[in-house]
Amino acid sequence: MNRNMLKPLAIVLVLLLVGLTAACSTVTPTAAPTATPVPSEPVTIQFWHNYDAGAGQIDVLKTLIAEFETANPDIKVNQVYLEWSALKNNVIAGATTGMLPDVLRGDIGFVPQFQSLNVLYEMSSLSDYATVAATVMEAPNSSARMGDKFYGIAANTNTKILFYNKAMFTAAGLTVPKTQDEMWTDALKLTGSGKIGFVEAWTGVWNVGQYIWSNGGDVLAPDNSTATGYINSPVAVATIQKLADLYKAGALSGPSMDPGAAGDTDGWKAGTYAMEIDGPWRPSLLASSGIDLGAVQMPAGSAGSIGVLGGEDFMMFKTSDAKHQEAAWKFIKFMVDEKAQVDMAKVGQMPVNKAAMTNADALAAMPLLPVFAEALKTAKARPVTPKWGDMENIIATKVAEAITGQKAVQKALDEAATEIDALIAAK
Amino acid sequence: MPGNRSLSTQRRGVRQDVVRLLTLLLPGLILLGMFTFYPILKMFIMSFFNWRIGYQQTSDFVGLQNYLAVFSDPVAGMALVNTLFYAVVTVPLQMALGLFVAVLIHRITRFSVTFRLLYYLPVITSWVVVALLFRYIFNNQGLLNYFLKDVAHLADGPVRWLSTRWMALSATTILGIWKGIGWNMVVFLAALQAVPLEQYEAASIDGLGAFGKFRYITLPNIKGTILFALVMLSIGAFNTFTPIMVITGGNPAHQTEVVLTWMYYQTFSATGKMGYAASLSFIVAALVAGIAILLFRFIRPEGEGKS
Repeated sequence: MNRNMLKPLAIVLVLLLVGLTAACSTVTPTAAPTATPVPSEPVTIQFWHNYDAGAGQIDVLKTLIAEFETANPDIKVNQVYLEWSALKNNVIAGATTGMLPDVLRGDIGFVPQFQSLNVLYEMSSLSDYATVAATVMEAPNSSARMGDKFYGIAANTNTKILFYNKAMFTAAGLTVPKTQDEMWTDALKLTGSGKIGFVEAWTGVWNVGQYIWSNGGDVLAPDNSTATGYINSPVAVATIQKLADLYKAGALSGPSMDPGAAGDTDGWKAGTYAMEIDGPWRPSLLASSGIDLGAVQMPAGSAGSIGVLGGEDFMMFKTSDAKHQEAAWKFIKFMVDEKAQVDMAKVGQMPVNKAAMTNADALAAMPLLPVFAEALKTAKARPVTPKWGDMENIIATKVAEAITGQKAVQKALDEAATEIDALIAAK
Repeated sequence: MPGNRSLSTQRRGVRQDVVRLLTLLLPGLILLGMFTFYPILKMFIMSFFNWRIGYQQTSDFVGLQNYLAVFSDPVAGMALVNTLFYAVVTVPLQMALGLFVAVLIHRITRFSVTFRLLYYLPVITSWVVVALLFRYIFNNQGLLNYFLKDVAHLADGPVRWLSTRWMALSATTILGIWKGIGWNMVVFLAALQAVPLEQYEAASIDGLGAFGKFRYITLPNIKGTILFALVMLSIGAFNTFTPIMVITGGNPAHQTEVVLTWMYYQTFSATGKMGYAASLSFIVAALVAGIAILLFRFIRPEGEGKS
């Protein structure tokens, strides 16, 4: 196809889908040719992110950007907040038009997806990438690796632990569960008269993977070559069956299984939900709700407590020119350095910088940091493969069918395995 | 010859008219072409490609594969059935209720504007806002369950209205009907005002009752409007997106997906299946065109005025 023919359509698409913000954000002033090195026109880099304004992260980001700009007067950073799905959609739309940011800080799951759109800049080709990567924890940074190349660098990390409503546990005379079996039994006991024992916001591997892994199962073969014998293994079937039983008994709820159910945050605030396996953002979201929140390691299954690795990576784009890429990399290095990482930890972003992980200020600001640090030792990354987004969508759909009782668990998971294998085969 | 000259002057005049016409039409045509015809054409081309949207990626021609993928996709089938259900329920009901309200308002002399305003209010309200309101009504801890459980004591626990396919879809159809009554009322009110009063007078003299007048005078006179409303609303029903997106999001497990939400999912939530989405939209367009043709065949507006 003639690429030029795409332009008019691209303009329409961008106006309709991306919105003015994205359209405007890519209009970067071209730097004047520098005759003398001193008063050169600053390079403006576009930075898309989904830092949480509610938790005060954007205020901290603005302060950090001001510090960075003071230290680097030749660089300006234009930060654009985009909500999780908007961030993803804008990159999908921008892949067509080339209207992409210079730096993006987004879900680690975006890396394989964006790489399949051929938009990411291979950051391991930067001369000092290895030096900088050595200052961050290896497990979170592995989320940016595809093959032997890195297409990003870890920005923040997280995994999930058990949060519980202390008052509801006291009222029911229950102690905090140590095993997943106890957790499910407690969920049943805590359910009734408008209360629901357990909430899961979605049915993807982000949500159910941890239960399958903790019981010795997996969702894909270790080399990502097949799903058969993994997502439909006896362990996975038994695990999802447990969730289906809980849903049937009204002890498990969530908007993707039942669109009428309260979202997790709303349900927590209303005192409806008693337990959730969730990440470090949970306490700050309930800060002013008056809910007394308890937090412990995710209860262990037969194979231990294996949570899901989450977090965000910084990514750079092929569409930027050398000058913008250089400025972008400078900014990223600033953001993964101890100072910026500690400042972000104070507003709920778990650091990846090794020094920040043990920094006294960070520990004081995040009392749960040791709990999460412990959980991170066993946390598992979701498969890093280009079609992972589609695969997780298949799993989310089939698991929802199984949990809500539309299909028998074995049948639903067999279908998931077949569909995923077909996706793998369709190179 | 003088005849010749006048003819050429005429011709020149016509040519000038054509030039002037084109000049006036051109801006509109350019905009229409750029924003309507070009995208349609482009999408038609896309529907035959495994359209890759990635940066500097090339797309492969796959022939009818996208169309076959739609036809063999169980969720697309389910979405189509859901859309048809929405159309079959909302279109006749909102027309019937709209006509009923129009007849009532047409007959009253006082507060007519007040009632028109009240019934039209839902039409001008944002879809997102009213869809959110309906979600709060049908939520497990919503208004409806509150009445059933805490006020009327008819249910023991919250009824999961939105957790199953048909119940959730029914809730969205109620929203569709409620929101559409006002538009139908305005359209039918205009049609009712155009019905010649003499016919009613003649019918009164002939001893026809109120129902008879409605059946033999009103209905035949507004047949054209009925057809218009039917076609417009059927097309509208196939374009349903916001109520489903806001109320269920297609959940659980795509059970409540309609064609547009499924198209959106394929384009954005899945990794950019543009070709699939394009072919799905052409299948839907063909279907809507077919339905419109059938409707025109079925209800010929030529009956208008015959009675």
